Amino acid sequence: MRDWQLPFLFLPLWVWLFVLPTALALLCAVFPHRMRPVLAPFWRILDRIYIGSGAFAACFMVLILLLIIGQMVSRWTGQVFPGGTEFAGYAMACTSFFAMAYALTQGAHIRVSILLQLNTFTKLWLDAFAMLISAVTATYFARYAIKTNILSEMLNDRTQGLDQVPEWVLTFVTMLGTWPWEWGALWAKGGGSDLVFTPVWLPQIAMSVGTVLLAVAIWDHLYRLLIARGSQIKGEILE
Amino acid sequence: MTEVYATIIFIFVLFALLGSSVWVGLALMGVAWVGMELFTSRPAGDAMITTIWTGASSWTLTALPLFIWMGEILYRTRLSEDMFRGLAPWMRFLPGGLLHTNIAGCTLFAAVSGSSAATLNMVGKMSIPELRQRGYPEFMIIGTLAGAATLGLMIPPSLTLIVYGVTINESITKLFMAGVFPGLVLAGLFMLYIMAWHYVRPSERPPKEERLPLGKMLAESRFLLPVVGLVVVVIGSMYMGYATATEAAAVGVVGALLLSLGQGSLSWDTFVTSLMGATRTSAMIALILMGAAFLSLSMGFTGLPRALATAIDSYNLSPVMLIAVLTVFYLVLGMFMDGLSSVVLTMAIVEPMIRQAGIDVIWFGIFLVVVIETAQVTPPIGFNLFVLQGMTRHQIGYIAKTAIPMVALMLLMVVILVIFPELATWLPENARQ
Repeated sequence: MRDWQLPFLFLPLWVWLFVLPTALALLCAVFPHRMRPVLAPFWRILDRIYIGSGAFAACFMVLILLLIIGQMVSRWTGQVFPGGTEFAGYAMACTSFFAMAYALTQGAHIRVSILLQLNTFTKLWLDAFAMLISAVTATYFARYAIKTNILSEMLNDRTQGLDQVPEWVLTFVTMLGTWPWEWGALWAKGGGSDLVFTPVWLPQIAMSVGTVLLAVAIWDHLYRLLIARGSQIKGEILE
Repeated sequence: MTEVYATIIFIFVLFALLGSSVWVGLALMGVAWVGMELFTSRPAGDAMITTIWTGASSWTLTALPLFIWMGEILYRTRLSEDMFRGLAPWMRFLPGGLLHTNIAGCTLFAAVSGSSAATLNMVGKMSIPELRQRGYPEFMIIGTLAGAATLGLMIPPSLTLIVYGVTINESITKLFMAGVFPGLVLAGLFMLYIMAWHYVRPSERPPKEERLPLGKMLAESRFLLPVVGLVVVVIGSMYMGYATATEAAAVGVVGALLLSLGQGSLSWDTFVTSLMGATRTSAMIALILMGAAFLSLSMGFTGLPRALATAIDSYNLSPVMLIAVLTVFYLVLGMFMDGLSSVVLTMAIVEPMIRQAGIDVIWFGIFLVVVIETAQVTPPIGFNLFVLQGMTRHQIGYIAKTAIPMVALMLLMVVILVIFPELATWLPENARQ
């Protein structure tokens, strides 16, 4: 548990990730009416983000299809499509991770709900408890996804397959994570179209982004549940 | 002694998390984390991400979203309705009449869809109103539908078999091939049941259908051609070794898109709905698989699976006894959770056990699917029962009662599989790889 103690803006990481969100949940539970105007403005933005990430994930689903077809066609015509398998795998990871929060808000993830449907008390409070546990787990997941992602970048981990990407793709993605005044130097250094073996950090971004969104979505829906005193997940198939 | 503690803690935490309705994938991660923290000194978080990333970005998994998507396209467009229309004229001559459309429709739809809920929805939507209108007894309509829909899991493509194959690292194509004959035999058993009803309860028979002229029959069956063609291409390409399971799925998606386009029922709207629906479902399964991957890593560290396999081995159970025990185990498990979750949850433990006992893993996959199917139609948690409840507004108890004969037939299927294992193993051994 040592690496949870790292101070981040004067407080240990675990306070930021677990204690403060839980405190907010408590506030929502005790003062639902006062918390509603505070949080409600965020809901519309967040809803758009969830749906947007779902649509983004769907694009990768189409990409899987295209990659597999490309692979078949190249095999029939006797050409080589280096790294096709790896790219399809990356697209798979992107589909899964980017869609995770979207699937949650649309009630697609399954859970055992015998006890949930016992009575109105469990329907609210057991749900809240389950969401708290889920949120903590998802936050843990996201934290390590980011850590692994950063480590892969620092160690300059490369793919074990034959897949290569043009250098400018890497520069473009790196650009999104830096300040605009650094962009000039960045492009001057790595703007070429030379092929380089895919660094593992590139596809892993999907995991970092997706898990963070999942954690945010669960915390968010926990607050909504407590404020509205009823589940805000649409169309959940309760079995 | 550690193993005993480990087992107790694992089971306790698992039931606490699942029971309090934490989402299955996250609950599995939670249990795995507890195991890692208690029984190893490894950094749990880092090990977790490494395992999950390797699993989530694997090429084998890509068959999953594509098959889901193919089923979604057929489900959202008019293709499946047409299929049903083409099927009906051929069933009226059989003893039991149009009830057979339930079975045949499910069998055919199962060959393009990998889930039993989708199969049930699709076929039920069309057959329930038709059959009611013609005066077939409600008990038979619902019972046969509940049973036959489970074929969706067995006849390729099958999501459960993909998940099973990915979890134990076996060829998905082989598993698909193995499911073909047992699926057809099970469908045959269901049809025999309908025929038996026809002769045993003549009083319940609806008025006889009028005969259709042969020309009209043939004209109606042209609606069958597109979907049957698709099934033949998808399964045939795998059987002949032209395509892997993933490639067959891609062919299926393109084929389904082209067919629905040709038929004029593919709009931008249905395209987007099918794509988003498939994205959701595949993300749901992916999360469960991630949790399961971490859980099996964690259990591996505790040495629990090996110890259990050795323990079972020391009882000198015959394979048949072991299968009997596992049948009961999965039926009980299936009372509380859905099929996919119970597969991924148990494979880490069960896989070493069956390998030790010398049971063929491909055969075991088919066995597992039959047992899980059975659990889908037994209360209190039977997914098909819930879907049917939503469609017919009957009490769950009544629906469960109509399904009892089907459950008996499925258990009979387990026995048949044990006596004739070649049913499952012959095709994969003789298919061109």
